[in-house]
Amino acid sequence: MENTLSFDQLTEEQKYEHFMKRIEAGEKIEADDWMPDDYRMTLIKLISMHGISEIMGALPEKEWVPKAPSLKRKLGIMAKVQDEMGHGQLLLRVAEDLMKPLGKSRENIIQDLLSGDLKFHNVFHMEAKTWGDAGLIGWLVDGAAIITQTNMLDASYGPYARALKRICAEEVFHAQHGEAIIMALAEGTDEQKAMIQDSIDRWWEALLMFFGPGDASTTGTSKQDTTIKYGIRTKTNEELRQDFFTKYIPRVLSLGLKLPDETMHFDQESGMWVYQQPDWSKFKQIIKNNGPKSKDRLRLREISYSNNKWVIDALSAKA
Amino acid sequence: MSGKGFYQEFEVFSKRTDTSPMQYQFSLLAPNHELALVMAQENFMRREPVADIWVVKRDDVRKMTMEERQTLQRLDNKDYRNTKGYGYLKKKWRHYEQEMLDEKEILSWGGKQEK
Amino acid sequence: MRYALEDALKNGAYRDAATELLFQLADDDFILAYRGSEWLGLAPHIEEDVAFSSISQDTMGHAAMFYQLLHGLGAGDPDHLAHARPAAERKNAVLLELVNGPGTYLTEPHYDWAFAVVRNYFYAQAKKVRIEALKNSSYQPLAEAAVKVNMELYYHLLHWKTWFTQLLSAGGEAKTRMAAAMEKVFEELDGLFSYGAQGEEFTKHKLIDSEDALKARWLQLMSPVFESLDLKMPEKFAMKSGNGRNGEHTEDLQTALDTLGEVYLFDPAASW
Repeated sequence: MENTLSFDQLTEEQKYEHFMKRIEAGEKIEADDWMPDDYRMTLIKLISMHGISEIMGALPEKEWVPKAPSLKRKLGIMAKVQDEMGHGQLLLRVAEDLMKPLGKSRENIIQDLLSGDLKFHNVFHMEAKTWGDAGLIGWLVDGAAIITQTNMLDASYGPYARALKRICAEEVFHAQHGEAIIMALAEGTDEQKAMIQDSIDRWWEALLMFFGPGDASTTGTSKQDTTIKYGIRTKTNEELRQDFFTKYIPRVLSLGLKLPDETMHFDQESGMWVYQQPDWSKFKQIIKNNGPKSKDRLRLREISYSNNKWVIDALSAKA
Repeated sequence: MSGKGFYQEFEVFSKRTDTSPMQYQFSLLAPNHELALVMAQENFMRREPVADIWVVKRDDVRKMTMEERQTLQRLDNKDYRNTKGYGYLKKKWRHYEQEMLDEKEILSWGGKQEK
Repeated sequence: MRYALEDALKNGAYRDAATELLFQLADDDFILAYRGSEWLGLAPHIEEDVAFSSISQDTMGHAAMFYQLLHGLGAGDPDHLAHARPAAERKNAVLLELVNGPGTYLTEPHYDWAFAVVRNYFYAQAKKVRIEALKNSSYQPLAEAAVKVNMELYYHLLHWKTWFTQLLSAGGEAKTRMAAAMEKVFEELDGLFSYGAQGEEFTKHKLIDSEDALKARWLQLMSPVFESLDLKMPEKFAMKSGNGRNGEHTEDLQTALDTLGEVYLFDPAASW
């Protein structure tokens, strides 16, 4: 930056130019730095959705926490779901700092969630019917989450990159926790084996949807171009989905499990997995809180919020 | 306790061992210092040893602005502040048949007393 | 004398007493940790949710240690002991089995944070007193476990005491709710200090100090806190819903056992 003008005196265009230079140079943008509104709003949307998805994502697995079938599993899944809440904490703190200049705080995030303005991830609207689902979430949903999150470890926004670094370190434990449950089932009785196959069959479509539509033509909107432009992520939705297939399909098959999509195969020529598209209109419905468990899970958050409000009030007044 | 509601920002610092320096961890929301303190370890240091924790109200931290961070840059021409600028002494001392008292040697002097 | 595992196995009466005491310790921690696990994701504040869960994990970890000691004494597999014993065989205090509030953790959980704070605080203090006493237990493996468990209790106690004092100092609705929660806890608190029908065997074999000694110590430690908050300690506590040490329990325990054993009991022989 030139010394002749202080940053405040630059025109908006000059500020933007300076900002983009920082991004291109691989510098990290910090919470109180100047940033274009577009960048701020993109981050708020991305990170508050990511954060609230962790909080909502705790709920399907939480259903199995008290029911986990051994002392070791009870402890492991408790720690795992605790981490999800912890990841929510880290991410919401990052989002809250970005929202602060707009006069918004955590309370607004919760309100937005309950009102439906803030969406949470499609997978967490689904039913977790069996203990197999608890294993599958840890194994494949977390596997998918690792793929998308590691893709942003070098995000241009410093606080997000730092939160993700903490999160990804814990995801390694999550993946192994999920694998341990699945492995025990895969090597178990016929009923246990059937349990995982059933889970994969029911979760398959949600897993495909996890990475979002391939491009805007599928669902009408896509933020992926903006996030790539600003150096928040590097790969497209489809690239991430393909990475997921490459990493996980061989493992799924190695355990003797079948893919619910019989047409699925790896095309040597294009170097891509060919698969049947999920029903993207269903995806749109799900993230509008019309999924199988959307309302129930929002209700849990709402109860927690309204039931505990006296606690918040009591300690706010204290001061 | 200063009052601005339940959701106040605290910065959390901790040290891993008695001899390690305080390190910044992350921020959390709490209504006051006491609750911030009892939540800090489990939120940010669940999987590592902790020897001490500080929580600081964010308002009490004077952070640098983007522009101010430019004041932190400096030229790499300050060998005279480091041993690097005095490396030639080694050769000199050799001439007098003496060992160089380098960092490694000097820092070893405070070693535990033999009992 | 100090009993090693081999000594205990050779002395039937001693082994029975140690087994009985260990069941009380294990079941107390296990059921309260289970109640804590139901709170996961529902606490008043995200940061607190995370902190609370660590305490529940610690507590279940302690239960696992005690079940392991029981396994050593020939009581059976720890997972079986935790998941498959019927209510009538459970030895936890009734206070610790009571539901967190109306509803279930899956549907309409109208959980009561005041009850959580009071129950956990009073228990943490009682457990601290008990564990301190167990450090001198005649049963060596238990004395060693007590030293370990004790390490984690400082935090549990500080955590719950902080919530307890802050909510009571807040006045207004918080104070009313906390008072109601305390009343509820006092109604069952004697069950926590009880050793049940076989309690004399514990002291006879010098496994642990007497019920009265532990209760007195608890009162002594709680008094300054009560005084500082202008609270009155009741003359007597009660054991309204029966003595859990003798296998007397509420319906709350049965529903908890149905839930916590659901997957395990689907196939107890399977590896999960």
